[in-house]
Amino acid sequence: MSEYLTASGLEVSFGGLRALQDCSFTVERGRITCLVGPNGAGKTTIFNVITGFLRPDSGTVSFQGTPLDGLKPQAIVAAGIARTFQNLRLFVDLTALDNVVVALPAQAGEEPLAAIFRPLHVARTQQSRRAEAMRILDHVGLATRAGEFVRNLSYGEQKLLTVARGLATGAELLLLDEPASGLSASALEQIMALLRRLQTEGKTLLVVEHNTRVVQQIADEVLFLHQGHLMARGTPEQIVGDPALAEIYFGGVI
Amino acid sequence: MDFWLSYLTLAAIYVLLGLSTNLLVGIAGIFSVSQAAVFGVGAYIVSYLLMNDLTSFLPAMLVASAFCVLLNVLVTLPALRVSGDYFVVTSFGIQLLATAIFTNWTAGTGGANGLPGIPPADLFGKTLDDSKQLVALCLGAMVLGCVAFWLIMRAPFGRLLRAIREDELAVAAAGKNVLRAKVSAAAMAGAFAGSAGGLYATFLSFIDPSSFDLDSSILLLTMVVVGGARTLAGSIVGPFLLLALPQVLSLIDIPTTIAAAARQLIYGVLLIAFMLFRPQGLAGEKL
Amino acid sequence: MLALQLLCNGLATGCALGVVAVTFSLVYSTTKLFHVAHAGVFTLGGYLAWSLTSRGAPFLLAFVVAIAVCAATGALIQALLYARLERRHATHLVILIASLGMLAVMQNIIAAVYTPNILQFTLPWASQVVAGGGSVRLTVIQVLIVAASVAAYGGLMWFAHHTILGKQMRAVASNPFLAEITRLRPRRVHVYVMAIASAVVSVPGVLVPVDLGLQPYNGVTPLLTATIAMIAGGVGSITGAFVLAIAIAELQNLSLLIIPGEWSIGITFFIFLIFMLFRPTGLFAAVR
Repeated sequence: MSEYLTASGLEVSFGGLRALQDCSFTVERGRITCLVGPNGAGKTTIFNVITGFLRPDSGTVSFQGTPLDGLKPQAIVAAGIARTFQNLRLFVDLTALDNVVVALPAQAGEEPLAAIFRPLHVARTQQSRRAEAMRILDHVGLATRAGEFVRNLSYGEQKLLTVARGLATGAELLLLDEPASGLSASALEQIMALLRRLQTEGKTLLVVEHNTRVVQQIADEVLFLHQGHLMARGTPEQIVGDPALAEIYFGGVI
Repeated sequence: MDFWLSYLTLAAIYVLLGLSTNLLVGIAGIFSVSQAAVFGVGAYIVSYLLMNDLTSFLPAMLVASAFCVLLNVLVTLPALRVSGDYFVVTSFGIQLLATAIFTNWTAGTGGANGLPGIPPADLFGKTLDDSKQLVALCLGAMVLGCVAFWLIMRAPFGRLLRAIREDELAVAAAGKNVLRAKVSAAAMAGAFAGSAGGLYATFLSFIDPSSFDLDSSILLLTMVVVGGARTLAGSIVGPFLLLALPQVLSLIDIPTTIAAAARQLIYGVLLIAFMLFRPQGLAGEKL
Repeated sequence: MLALQLLCNGLATGCALGVVAVTFSLVYSTTKLFHVAHAGVFTLGGYLAWSLTSRGAPFLLAFVVAIAVCAATGALIQALLYARLERRHATHLVILIASLGMLAVMQNIIAAVYTPNILQFTLPWASQVVAGGGSVRLTVIQVLIVAASVAAYGGLMWFAHHTILGKQMRAVASNPFLAEITRLRPRRVHVYVMAIASAVVSVPGVLVPVDLGLQPYNGVTPLLTATIAMIAGGVGSITGAFVLAIAIAELQNLSLLIIPGEWSIGITFFIFLIFMLFRPTGLFAAVR
């Protein structure tokens, strides 16, 4: 039992729209937790709050005991939390390898003076970074596509790349926003295998997912969100099997 | 012969300005109409130091560059923290304020009449007053600038800026400090522009506010737009082409009262045309 | 008393600036574009009116023609330039540069046709003193500027709150998040907004030069001051922009008691600096 990631009393409003209402939940270390709920329930908003892109009107988020309030996105990444985006947001004009290299932490040559006055040192560290990035790409299964520009990758490969980018930051908690949506059956298998593999390596995953089959196959725990509030939590069987929740998810009004 | 040497020297200086503007606008994606103001600050500082015999040329250049770096950092840091559009207002404000200072602070800048009699550059004790030596100096500076630019763009910094231009949010989500990268780019741009200013002052031995006004900033933008954003080639092609324009125009009979307006009109048309039909310029990448 | 005269002058200037600020804010809130070329439209109006009156046309006719042409110009800039760029998913930087280019084109066509020298309206009724007590004098044109500007402000407020188009614009301005997901930004709305903003900005565009004369490059500084007023007042707040414009103009004018006129831009910039450092969202921001 550990207070790995806790959110308490989160409130977020956009104008008249209440995106999160007294939202509280915990995520336990080493587990794959799935965040489900109908559209507009606030799932992506939660991601935005945790990663520092959105400041809640009230409430806090703590990671391993330390509050994340007011921290900038890059500080939260440094603390060990990385996210992916539903609409990918990959760097289209860069290669797959470069997409990963950019996300590697603190590199020499990332500010101009070193680039000008120590070019050889920068070139050498670049080599080791590229090797590191290749290892990560290999880990997600994209080693053969490293030199390709993003626009030449298939949708499934692009999704794997977003996970690789998240891994590159060195984060131990990964927030994945719909990693399985829009994938073919084989790509789906590949990504689910990857997620399980990451878990065995000690990563904790918080996954937003709409696909109930995916949820059932990978989740250790499910958080059901509705109207910005945690409505229920339990094992996949409990949540997916609950008729009242199904009503909300499939037939209810947001 | 003298004309070509003059053109070459000026072009070399403006390539430095092109690199500066390209770093800021093309690479970091920051809309700036205040590059000429920074150019002017560099020019006036070097002029002041040389005219009052305070230092020799190289230290003066260093001081001017350092000052311009600081200026750019001070200007971009608070503004960019808010938003890019905010910086547009800041940039206009800086440019107009600089022109006001250059024109009205007669004690420091000679006012609207400018500063005549700026001493020539000197390197390691030797005065460079021969036009061939000046060309060599400016071309040498240009080459140094190009090498520095090339090194920056090849390094992770260049890749980081490219990613920022594509998707700032994703870069922040990857744990990188976007603001610091942009401000660093602006700082470098300041160094380039300030050095260009120093060279300009000693080359012409006379400077006045009209070289550093809003119209000049628009010219610098046009150079980058026409030449091409984000590439070394674009930063060179743009200035060389646009500096040749006044010569081409002089072949057409334009009354002197509207010659300047005609030039600026062409710059405006070029800006619109390139944005509409060729945003990557002649030798660059798409803005 | 000099200060009182300065205050009166500042009221006229401020109201005119207020209209520039409000119209700019209208465009910015709705289209999210920093329409730098607005300064060009402002300048165009004055020159058009001058052209007509110096050929003997009655002032009112010249005024109306100027408004109509400016409205059309604004609409065309949106439809032919901005919309085209947006359709190609151009970045804001690209559109900004295009707008700057348009400003340069407009200002310099005017400079080429009318020369860069200052031109004056010859309207004897304009400089007649309408109110005066001792050392304070208000001319007809100054009163007209204040009246027209306040009317323009009132008209735009009514428009924003009581017409469908106005409400759409306000919705987009106050809730960009919703606007993003509901795509409440049809192209036609943008054209109307630009037409209206350009038409209204030509009101001070014509009246101010009647008082102070015409010069092709005179649009940039007022635009800068107007954008600062918009920011200080809070983006999306029409009243904020108008009130702050008057406040800035008054501060500029009063500063003449202490510092020479060439440094007025310093005052404006100083005010901007204060807001940038301490309250970048402005005083009456509609968005959090």
